[in-house]
Amino acid sequence: MDWINFKKPQRYLGNEHNVIKKSYFPGQVRICLCFPDLYELGMSNVGMKIIYGQLNSFEGIYCERVFMPDEDLYLYLTEKKKKLFSLETKTPLCDFEILGFNFGYELNFTNFLAMLSSGGVELRALERKDTIVLGGGIANPEGLAEFVDVFFLGEFEVQAEKFAEIIKRYKDKEERLRALAEIDGFYIPKFYDVYIKGNRFVFEKKYKHAKLPIRKVFVKDLDNSFFPVNWLTPHTAIVHDRAQIEIARGCPNECSFCQARCLYFPYRERGVERVLDLAKGVYKSSGYENLSLLSLSASNYSNIEKLVEEITAYFKDKCVGVSLPSLRIEDVVGRLYKSLRRIKKVSATFAVEAATETLRERINKKIDLNKLFEAARVLKSLNSRHIKLYFMFGLPYEEDSDLLAIGDFLRTLKAESRLKINLSINAFIPKPFSSFEDVDMESAQKLLKKKELILSNIPRDRDVKLSISNIRKSILEAVTSYADRSFSKVIYRAFCLGARFDSYDERFNYSVWREAFKQSGTSMEDYLQRKKDNFSFSHIEMK
Amino acid sequence: MDNERFLLKVKLQKHQQMKFFSQLDLVRVLGRALRRTDLPIYFTKGFNPHVKLSFGDALKLGQEGIVDITFYFTAKIPVDEFKDKLIPQLPRGLSIVEIGEK
Ligand code: SF4
Repeated sequence: MDWINFKKPQRYLGNEHNVIKKSYFPGQVRICLCFPDLYELGMSNVGMKIIYGQLNSFEGIYCERVFMPDEDLYLYLTEKKKKLFSLETKTPLCDFEILGFNFGYELNFTNFLAMLSSGGVELRALERKDTIVLGGGIANPEGLAEFVDVFFLGEFEVQAEKFAEIIKRYKDKEERLRALAEIDGFYIPKFYDVYIKGNRFVFEKKYKHAKLPIRKVFVKDLDNSFFPVNWLTPHTAIVHDRAQIEIARGCPNECSFCQARCLYFPYRERGVERVLDLAKGVYKSSGYENLSLLSLSASNYSNIEKLVEEITAYFKDKCVGVSLPSLRIEDVVGRLYKSLRRIKKVSATFAVEAATETLRERINKKIDLNKLFEAARVLKSLNSRHIKLYFMFGLPYEEDSDLLAIGDFLRTLKAESRLKINLSINAFIPKPFSSFEDVDMESAQKLLKKKELILSNIPRDRDVKLSISNIRKSILEAVTSYADRSFSKVIYRAFCLGARFDSYDERFNYSVWREAFKQSGTSMEDYLQRKKDNFSFSHIEMK
Repeated sequence: MDNERFLLKVKLQKHQQMKFFSQLDLVRVLGRALRRTDLPIYFTKGFNPHVKLSFGDALKLGQEGIVDITFYFTAKIPVDEFKDKLIPQLPRGLSIVEIGEK
């Protein structure tokens, strides 16, 4: 390959620090972890690093990686009839026994098909003789049922060892699938009949050892679960360019719109000592100049004061930036104020979601806006110049006055603090397993009106940087999140018509999707309105 | 207050895959490589301290060749110790050609 002709060739070289190289021997099981988005995003994903490290820790298994190639390489491979390859050994995807995809984001599904196709792998599960496509990180897998042999629901660390044993013991695809079907967390769509009767989805087992309902699995003891201390460290910039140490999983808060708290239920913490050990180990192995303490809500971490104090003390002389995303406002101005001053990067990102107290109460978002004004002043004194705020629109119970309040709020904040504001306003997308899973997504028409109303009151100011949802894209995400098995054909059509990188505003092509729905004899609206008494994913239990 | 600084001037050969990594990438790669050693790193002062390095002229992306880089330490480092500790941390495609003290 003449890499100089491609954008950011660093993405495809596979020469990161701590990359795992193993030599091949007959009988070795070869797995490739596949991330259906660009390198810069995929390499920021902690889950992928955990699985990569853990699978490679087993004898007899070699696990490699591949990311969605950017358009230039993708088109080059297609045109030259070359196959998409793994980073480590440059092996075409079709030569792996197992391809493990991350399905954390619904708008990456056409990229998933593009990667299979580019890698010389048949798209439909039933067409593949030997290769097993495994998918994880997904709440509702039904829309992909036609393409994926086996889904994993929950946290893979728990069953990684059993998985490794099974794929080493059985060599035949069918035998492997049958053995996996008996283990919690694995879901093999073809072992179930799913059909609609009356106004309900009915789920029936076709293979007697398959599980019903299907339960997700989760790590019970975070202190003793696998963590990739030999941190894979890229030589080029990625989106979250820092080492990440998970301090907790799940979230004890109960915001009604939130899916993450359900996917990662229950709330679990890693002990301060263990976090410190991991942070030191990861720093030693990576030399990363930035470290992030990861959780959905750091403020809920029981020993947050002690943790912050000890970690800042350890890293201060080493000039390592420690960041704590997901802190609540009260803590930034309150109990953590002193320690935070010692961390050079105070991450000032606040998910306000709704601009009025009434609406926040109805979505169960507990946040005190007065504290935010106070926080903004403190941030200024901490030398932070930016604050990032998240809002939603299209929420249930929402009135026009709630939307106008976003602009009013910004004006007050500006007057009080003079911080630069990065503002992200997103359409509310109902999600499976959240408390709002029953709520309907608003129509495109209404959402467009609301978007205009919000924008009409946002101060035009160069200190306010705004990004706001593309409505059609958000609706596609909603449809995909609730998909049933019939939706596979729509994704397939969209892929054939050239849809890729749907999560990127500038690459998302609504007309392609509209055509894909049309060719499948349906429409986005039709999918949105399809209401049943239960869901296409009611055979899955997340709690 | 400025600490005393000890410099090592290094000629670094950029070849094979590393020729695709920009000067900015090199800052990252060398900073992290140094941090993985226990060498007494000299950090820049100011609000956002980082590993101090200075670079001579950059090579074009995709071009193999030599880059001049100055490393800074807070104590005098024998050339051999520097080599012994840094070389194992460098990615393939970066190699030390010459070191001069100053
Ligand atoms: S939105 Fe954040 S704080 Fe609320 S439940 Fe979800 S993760 Fe927790």
